[in-house]
Amino acid sequence: MEKWPEKLQEIIDDFSEALDQMERYEMLFEFAEEIDELDSSKWTNETRVVGCQSEAHILIDFGTNGFHMKGSSDSQIIQGLMAVTAIALEGLTPVEVTGFSPNFVSEMKVLDTLTPNRANGFLNMFLRIQDEARGMLG
Amino acid sequence: MKLTSDMNLIRTEFPILGRILPNGKPLIYLDNAATSQKPNLVINAMNDYYRNYNSNVHRAVHALAGEATEAFEQARKSVANWFGLPSEGMVLFTSGTTDALNLCALGWGKANLNSGDVIVLSEMEHHSNIVPWQMLAKEKDLEIRWVNVESESYQLDLDDYRSKVNGAKLVCLIHTSNVLGTRNPVEELVEIAHEAGSKIVLDCAQAAAHERIDMNQLNADFLAVTSHKMCGPTGIGALLISPGIFEQMQPVQGGGDMIIEVFKEYSTYQENEHRFEAGTPRIAEAIGWSAAINWMGKLDFKSAHNHIMSMARNAAEGLKKIPGIKVYGDHSKEDISGVVSFLHESLHAEDIAHMLDSMGIAVRTGHHCAQPLMRRLGITATNRASFYFYNTMEESEKFVNAVKTIVERFA
Repeated sequence: MEKWPEKLQEIIDDFSEALDQMERYEMLFEFAEEIDELDSSKWTNETRVVGCQSEAHILIDFGTNGFHMKGSSDSQIIQGLMAVTAIALEGLTPVEVTGFSPNFVSEMKVLDTLTPNRANGFLNMFLRIQDEARGMLG
Repeated sequence: MKLTSDMNLIRTEFPILGRILPNGKPLIYLDNAATSQKPNLVINAMNDYYRNYNSNVHRAVHALAGEATEAFEQARKSVANWFGLPSEGMVLFTSGTTDALNLCALGWGKANLNSGDVIVLSEMEHHSNIVPWQMLAKEKDLEIRWVNVESESYQLDLDDYRSKVNGAKLVCLIHTSNVLGTRNPVEELVEIAHEAGSKIVLDCAQAAAHERIDMNQLNADFLAVTSHKMCGPTGIGALLISPGIFEQMQPVQGGGDMIIEVFKEYSTYQENEHRFEAGTPRIAEAIGWSAAINWMGKLDFKSAHNHIMSMARNAAEGLKKIPGIKVYGDHSKEDISGVVSFLHESLHAEDIAHMLDSMGIAVRTGHHCAQPLMRRLGITATNRASFYFYNTMEESEKFVNAVKTIVERFA
């Protein structure tokens, strides 16, 4: 088991204790409502996460307070995962983001597999975030 | 084999159908339009080849090579017989339907179509019957005409087809839609194409799994077929060509097995199917496909079709009663395949597919490699449940109830 930031660990624990997968999806739908939403009028090719079956868009900012992400998707599961990711990475530096493992989703027991070649909206989004963080490092 | 009375027996021949998934749920496999499951006979035939007579074909004189060559060429005969290939026609083995259509484009199209010539496609096509022709059209400066799909009836617009085929050199159409389940009136489409002086290729990837296609009777110039949707292994399919086509085609790939002699200056090519099968062919896969054909030969196709249709209709009707669900395709038709595409007005198709998966139900989500059709329907994706003869009415019921539960809980 990896060591996660406290807030993320709480989320992982909540998801792990869910009765079944449907309850986990319900929890994700609730997280989806909590995201700092990127209005669909601001969706562009630049914000689009390529490789998702759904429309998924993110806008990342590394300001003085570190990482912050706005996002939205027409898939509530993807938007919920975006929301959890935004909480997990909030305030981190680009170096910390590039070294962050996406395996927290497996520990949440939401997705069974993170195989890159499978249609996997979450992983494509996470890799895109890390690419942008690497870009910040020059 | 009588289908309904022997259903339990049939299911035991497909070991995967008894699978319990990692989440503890028994598998309900409704992604048959993507690929079918394989009976023991197919798995054992491929296993037997690798265990007992694995060898390359055509060249060596040893015993194993003889056995492998015989089995491989026997598989070609099985495919020819199954699809009613006309005498003097040929079975060119490929990796699947996509490869077959690419072979048609590069082997026949490139050699016979010239600047300004017209190809006719329809909005119903799978990408595998679009992209190879677009690539060829760009290279050879060809004109592509598109036949409309009527978005209310989910049928090809036949008046539009008659008009577009006028003056065309080649018509490339899907036999049975992988999205809508629509079976096109292929007999009529072939006749119209020929009357207009055009050749016609039919993408039979879906159709071959659902009906006995007789190429001789159908009179199409090319059929593109695949093994894996009709209980055979992945990795093999064929382009079936009618008499006289072979002489009009040029080799697409060079290498071993397709030549008679190679000199420094030039090479001479085989005068048979091998001309289009450079390199070591898909031996185990051909043997597996042949075994699948033998197995399918025991099925009563009419009973199988009726069984598939009753499950698909049950699902379509059940889904239509769920608030917010729209079903695409006309399931009142007698000759539709077992595909049921649907979409909920607010729940994304991907979310529904994830939730069904958590209940052990495998369906497909996305554009199904048919983006022009999606655009015609004004959508970007659907969920697609696709039934096959080994599915049960109980599975159809469970599927509808699962979608109902999801909609009630999440919409």
